[in-house]
Amino acid sequence: MKITVNGREVEVDPSKPLIAACHDNEVDVPNYCYHPGLTPVGSCRICQVEVQEGERPPRVVAACRTPVSEGMIVDTNSEAAHETRRECLEFLLKDHPLDCPICDKAGECTLQDYTYAEGQSSGQSSEPRQNFEKRKSLGDKIVLDQERCILCSRCVRFFEEVTEKPQLTVAGLGSRSRIETFGDRDLTGNYQGNITDLCPVGALTLKNFRFKARVWNLVKKGSTCGECSRGCSVSVEVLRQGEVKRIRPRYNEQVNRWWICDTGRFSSDRANPEGRVPALLRGYSGLEACEVEDALDSVTSAYRAHDGHLLVVSPWVTVEEGEALLELAASLKTEPIFLSPTPSELKDDLLHTGDPCPNRRGLMDLGFIPKSPEEVRELLSTAETATLFGERIVELIGPEPLDELPTSLRLFLFDVSGIDAPAIAVHCGIASWVERGGTWVNIDGHVGRIQATRPAPAGVRQPLSLIEGLLAAQEAVQ
Amino acid sequence: MTVLLATFIKAVVIFGALVSAAGLATLAERKVSAWIQHRLGPNRVGPFGALQPLADGVKFIFKEEFVPEGATRWLFILAPAISAMAAMMSVAVIPFGGLVTEIDGTEIYFSIADLDIGALWVVAIGGLGIYGVILGGWASNSKYSLYGGLRASAQMISYELPLILSILAVVAMSDTLNLREIVNIQTSGTAFGFLPNWNIFYQPLAFVLFVVCTFAETNRHPFDFAECESELVGGFHTEYSSMKFALFFLGEYCAMIVMASLTVTLFLGGFSVPYWEEAPWYLGVAAFVAKTAFFMFLFLWVRWTLPRFRYDQLMNLGWKVFLPLSLLNILLTGLAVSL
Amino acid sequence: MVIVKRKELTLAERLYIPEVLRGLRITLGKMFQPKSTRQYPEEPIPSTEVTRGQPRLAENEDGTLRCVSCGMCEIACPAYAITIDGHEIDRPIEREPERFEIDFLRCILCGFCEEACPKEAIWMSDELELADTTRKGLIYGIEKLKRPASALQKRIDYVKRINDRWRTFSST
Repeated sequence: MKITVNGREVEVDPSKPLIAACHDNEVDVPNYCYHPGLTPVGSCRICQVEVQEGERPPRVVAACRTPVSEGMIVDTNSEAAHETRRECLEFLLKDHPLDCPICDKAGECTLQDYTYAEGQSSGQSSEPRQNFEKRKSLGDKIVLDQERCILCSRCVRFFEEVTEKPQLTVAGLGSRSRIETFGDRDLTGNYQGNITDLCPVGALTLKNFRFKARVWNLVKKGSTCGECSRGCSVSVEVLRQGEVKRIRPRYNEQVNRWWICDTGRFSSDRANPEGRVPALLRGYSGLEACEVEDALDSVTSAYRAHDGHLLVVSPWVTVEEGEALLELAASLKTEPIFLSPTPSELKDDLLHTGDPCPNRRGLMDLGFIPKSPEEVRELLSTAETATLFGERIVELIGPEPLDELPTSLRLFLFDVSGIDAPAIAVHCGIASWVERGGTWVNIDGHVGRIQATRPAPAGVRQPLSLIEGLLAAQEAVQ
Repeated sequence: MTVLLATFIKAVVIFGALVSAAGLATLAERKVSAWIQHRLGPNRVGPFGALQPLADGVKFIFKEEFVPEGATRWLFILAPAISAMAAMMSVAVIPFGGLVTEIDGTEIYFSIADLDIGALWVVAIGGLGIYGVILGGWASNSKYSLYGGLRASAQMISYELPLILSILAVVAMSDTLNLREIVNIQTSGTAFGFLPNWNIFYQPLAFVLFVVCTFAETNRHPFDFAECESELVGGFHTEYSSMKFALFFLGEYCAMIVMASLTVTLFLGGFSVPYWEEAPWYLGVAAFVAKTAFFMFLFLWVRWTLPRFRYDQLMNLGWKVFLPLSLLNILLTGLAVSL
Repeated sequence: MVIVKRKELTLAERLYIPEVLRGLRITLGKMFQPKSTRQYPEEPIPSTEVTRGQPRLAENEDGTLRCVSCGMCEIACPAYAITIDGHEIDRPIEREPERFEIDFLRCILCGFCEEACPKEAIWMSDELELADTTRKGLIYGIEKLKRPASALQKRIDYVKRINDRWRTFSST
């Protein structure tokens, strides 16, 4: 079907509303209540555009509730459309508090953007502003500011349509309408965080990101979530090259669409571990800091001195690192094993697979053999040297079993942060998933790229360079 | 024995006075320059900045001693010493006052030595000072220093002649080379009936020539081509630091004091108090200090008034104006004396 | 082209000595004129309402900061001198800076922060003196930056007056 948008003839999908047709063709139409992932309701009226159909005179319609029809002529910038949008904004802003300097949404708030674009700097209303509850806690993750709300009902529809467990509703009538939970209960579920992304204003904000950073100071890089084998596309957001402040979903039609579970969203807290070290070596007084080269030397000399090697890699290693680790396993004459913990109870029907192995498919395809933590522990008790490689491997095996290993075993740990188990002879720090680049393959075979969003702490090496260091030493021996 | 002791005491007093006067002169230089430029000058160290020279001295001592690469080390170190020594030695024959006292029939005068060739001594030893500048400039292994030293030597030759010729006019008039005798002659009698009997009134041209030549001799503005900050960085002392630099400056200010004293001695009646022949010796010294102080002030005053000459102007002035004028002056003086 | 003819010198001028004496007279006269030196630490530089010194944070009468750490000054700062981290507080104004640092080694006293501030919280004070023995000491935190609004009143009034004038002009 062909329509004309702003004087340009374009091919559109007849099943989508007019606003989607405009967006698909890079024509910006303001929107609050409309979201491509939700049913259009046409409650905010900001998406009004001028449409001419056939011989009838042009009229202004809400683009989100108007189906496209053959030969439609759309003008998003006409005088009449701007005027209607401006008036609509004036109503939206009538009770909206002027606390942009405080609001966390400032900078990515579409109400700000469109107000600025339409140039409306004052209203005509002489009524006092209505006051609602400003700091209403909706459980342990979300804060609701009813004053800022423009009643677009995206959050209500999200729970109705995406999780299919309605939790929010528009309560009250007329000008007293506001968003509330049923019976003032806290929100539940693993997908609450999405409503803060959906909220076009600062009404719904995350508790753990509240007042932590101004959004324009965040450095954003596209990456892939590693909390389960779904591998949702995310955007990792870092403040001043330091802490990861927030993780947000990135649209990916095949994997996660616009959503992400709260486990993945709040993994931002785990992305800033303390006590990162380049390398530790077992000395007389326990693990002592040393040069990375010395740590690698110690590992390779142990490889030479002993037989019965064991190489266990974490399911967090990338495909690139996996290839190098395969070579290492071959040179050690041992089976390539990757740790494959049992799926957790977090599994649900929407996104979370419950399987904490972001690169399970990639490693399987490379030829790594999955072993459960119990099997790995058994293997550890018989080996002479054991190399545990990759992010989160300590956590996935469990720190207590590692603590109980005998000191006769020479354990080489390559993890982001380590533990002080007596068996550990060498601990080498590695760059975490927000500090390195690479590829993960998710459970359905989709490739997810991870990207370095911030530099690794001083001296901490990339895993790939450590494996190459070990391989070079091994080759020198042979 | 007592005479030796007296000489020793005089030497200590006069050298001490000279060096402290040089220190005061540096302060005076900064104060006068400040006042002329509507500023206040140093006023933080001690009352009215009086301890500033001391603070400067302490600073100089703590500065890094530095000998540039490629410099002739021993000449580089010797040069400031020569410069200071020459200026200090020439002060020996300047009569600062009259008869102080009489011990065992020996008359003690207020000067370190009363040489019969006093005027010659001052010219000869004072002239050595320029070696410090030349050697310092040459030994520094720096083009700026070398230029400074070269200019200093050329300037020296050009201005020593009129300087000596104008002294000669006074000597011819007084019929002696002894500076005390020259002063004594100016003490008694009057010139033209009402003025003190000072040589300045008989030899005005020689006086002017002498004063201008002292400026050139001491490397002061407007003839300070040896330093010449705007073209040669610091001239001969570009590479000097710490106490060696301070010695050059001490030498310069001592030379200024010696030249001012010499001007007073030769042309302004030295330690004589005008219209009071029988004045006690300490008043004589006071009169001498007052007269010298005026000339010291003139040195500073001129420095902060006149811009530096151009080098060719300096040479023209020396050879084409001052030398003929001083020769003419000698001729006239000779005629007058012989008549 | 302009050809400037050099003035013919008179005999007195060519003799040089009279001219030297004239110069000496002028400099001697200068010595006795009043000095224009300012004895700086004792005689401070006069400050007016226009004086744009170091930025300072205004405090309300109850001792709370006006700043809500919105980050406008931080982003307006052309020298990247300002760093702000906010945190939540219990007052009706929910947010306050936890860390507000101005690196005065970077600050160029341009006043953009004052212009950018939506909360009338940061003002260019008349304080200009800046000295410390470490670089770290010149990164001022909240404690060193905050001033009662009354101490900044002169500047506040001035800026408001200027802004009002600008508003009147623009509306006509």
